[in-house]
Amino acid sequence: MPTRDPRRGSPPEPFIGVSMEHAEDLLQGHGFGPEMLGVGLDMMRTVVHRSLPKPPVSTAVPLSLAGAAWVPGGADRISALPEQVLQDIISRLPAADAARTSALASRWRPLWRSAPLVVADTHFLPNGRQIALGVGEEESPGLADLVTRVLAAHPGPFRCVHLTRTAMDAHRGEIARWLDVLAAKGVQELAFINRPWPLDIRLPATLFRCAPLTRLFLSAWRLPDTAAVPRSAAFPNLRELGLSLVAMEDRDLAFLLDRSPVLEILTIVAAQGGVRLRLISHSVRCVQLCYSILEDILVVDAPRLERLLQWTWGLGSNSDKCCRVKIGHAPNLRAIGYLQPGEHDLEIGNTAIKAGTKLSTSTLVPSVQNLALELTFQVRNDLKKVHNFLRCFPNIETLHIRSEKARGESTGKVGLKFWLEGSPIACIRQHLKKIIFHDFRGSTNETAFLKFIAENARVLENMVIVVSDWLLSSGVDVRAILKHLTCAKWASGACKFQVFKSILREGERPVYGVRLASEVLPSDPFDKIYYREPLL
Amino acid sequence: MATREAGKKMIMLKSPDGMEFEVEEAVAMESQTIRKMIEDDCADTAILIPNINSKILSRVIEYCNKHVPTTGATGAAASDTVAPAALAEDLKIWDAEFIKVNRATRFNLIQAASYLNIKGLLDLTSQTTIDTISDNSLEEIRSFLSTKNDYLPEEEQTIRRENQWAFQ
Repeated sequence: MPTRDPRRGSPPEPFIGVSMEHAEDLLQGHGFGPEMLGVGLDMMRTVVHRSLPKPPVSTAVPLSLAGAAWVPGGADRISALPEQVLQDIISRLPAADAARTSALASRWRPLWRSAPLVVADTHFLPNGRQIALGVGEEESPGLADLVTRVLAAHPGPFRCVHLTRTAMDAHRGEIARWLDVLAAKGVQELAFINRPWPLDIRLPATLFRCAPLTRLFLSAWRLPDTAAVPRSAAFPNLRELGLSLVAMEDRDLAFLLDRSPVLEILTIVAAQGGVRLRLISHSVRCVQLCYSILEDILVVDAPRLERLLQWTWGLGSNSDKCCRVKIGHAPNLRAIGYLQPGEHDLEIGNTAIKAGTKLSTSTLVPSVQNLALELTFQVRNDLKKVHNFLRCFPNIETLHIRSEKARGESTGKVGLKFWLEGSPIACIRQHLKKIIFHDFRGSTNETAFLKFIAENARVLENMVIVVSDWLLSSGVDVRAILKHLTCAKWASGACKFQVFKSILREGERPVYGVRLASEVLPSDPFDKIYYREPLL
Repeated sequence: MATREAGKKMIMLKSPDGMEFEVEEAVAMESQTIRKMIEDDCADTAILIPNINSKILSRVIEYCNKHVPTTGATGAAASDTVAPAALAEDLKIWDAEFIKVNRATRFNLIQAASYLNIKGLLDLTSQTTIDTISDNSLEEIRSFLSTKNDYLPEEEQTIRRENQWAFQ
């Protein structure tokens, strides 16, 4: 395990075990200047920041209410409201404003201390400085001290504590004491975010004493060594767990899952090192794996799992090793993707799904209705796996395809005949209602696939094509390219055909709304609706 | 939707000043307090709403009518298409108009929202109070809230010292 370089003043490691110089060399090897490292790290920071829930309290006056001025007339009897209502008002104020109300009048004095505490350290900062700290950015002086004093002044319970602006490396003594206080005063929602650099700081094992936690978000920590944690430690109330930029051993992640019997949402963003997840949980409904290198995703026993979502940087993985994605017992799995046939080895039960694999009822996942695939249409070998990937999910109603730019030379034409090989694909013929094709690049291979869908999907109701910026700016007549498709003999007479312009530039992707996917559970987690403008 | 248009169930709400309001059950159930009464079968005839006069009750019903979900029982599909976002924006504008009332009315609305347990209305009515408290001096807040400072000077000093961090 690489250890953190303790020398002050040396540039931080952007990734654990990778020095700044080495990272810049790697980028140069790919034809990027050293400035791209900063851009990349900023992007990562933004993604991490966006994966956090907003604190339930905001310092910003909602725009819609800014004009709702007080209409004069009538005495305000606000102080006469029931205690519960006043407490509710207080717990929706930034902590300092809330605490100050105790000096208004004697009626208010006990209220702040008796209302559950909501505190976000960003509220102590001037507005506009609420994004997490970047490399070389100084922490606000006195912030850690303020946090210490708030946590000491309030007797608990702590409904919500978001500590996102502290350079934890410089406050190791404080963080241990904070966790003691957080554990003692029963914190329910905790966002505990280390300043991203240096990355490799071990989180104190006191965390495991915070049993009332319902939501926990950790960023830029090394997880506590769970081998040293008491075996009785558990999070009996934890419903949501978000880990970003976190370094962890497989056993630590397994321990967390095992000790969280009501966990519903697990989100891993930008993990340090490869992710190997072995999911055994009777409560988890949604797993989101974003911008991480995945090595093994084994859904062993997850009877309530509905969504298995993974989202990449779109750069492709540099490793030659494929990620194993195994679906074991997951009878309620509704949505899965993005699967990348070139980079994922799919296993259903104990069978590896390859191009020529003979499928049986034990290799089917009939519950899945929504599948997302990322396909490199120029790589014939990757496409060969797609038939069987589709056959494994016989009841797909919505199919998302993202067309990925080939990184190497094209390996041959893939026409309509290719897609008709082998036994018919049941989901396409009998169930597919909607297909959304993202980043259409205009190749004949893509058009052939779409034509195959058009001519075989008998109950298709809607085909949406989002044309890539690359194709639009190349000056090609998109209408002419799509003519093959519009002139095809459609199997479903009632299908709506829509073509949109992508608003994303080449290489850009719709931002994956981690919060959205976990909070409202939209019916289609893959449809980000980043396209609005019709093209045809 | 269909059930709301066809045979929608109506509930009678009565204010202490003797007015009666007939509302759809779904609208009345925006109030968790009334929902519980209905679910516990305590709502055979009319439900008396104590402490809330007809003027305030009619405004509360107006709010609930506007905010009752129109997506049917599941409600899940509403979140991921474009239209509901626009709908939410409309609602915000409507809310901002709705809350342009004098202090006494707003106080009564907070009280009603609290008793009837209507989260959205409580959030909305509390927000102006929250905005007042944020970023104003104690004197200004007292004046806005018509709250009399009943502390002795030394008492107030002690309280300020206890939470000195909040007064910096």
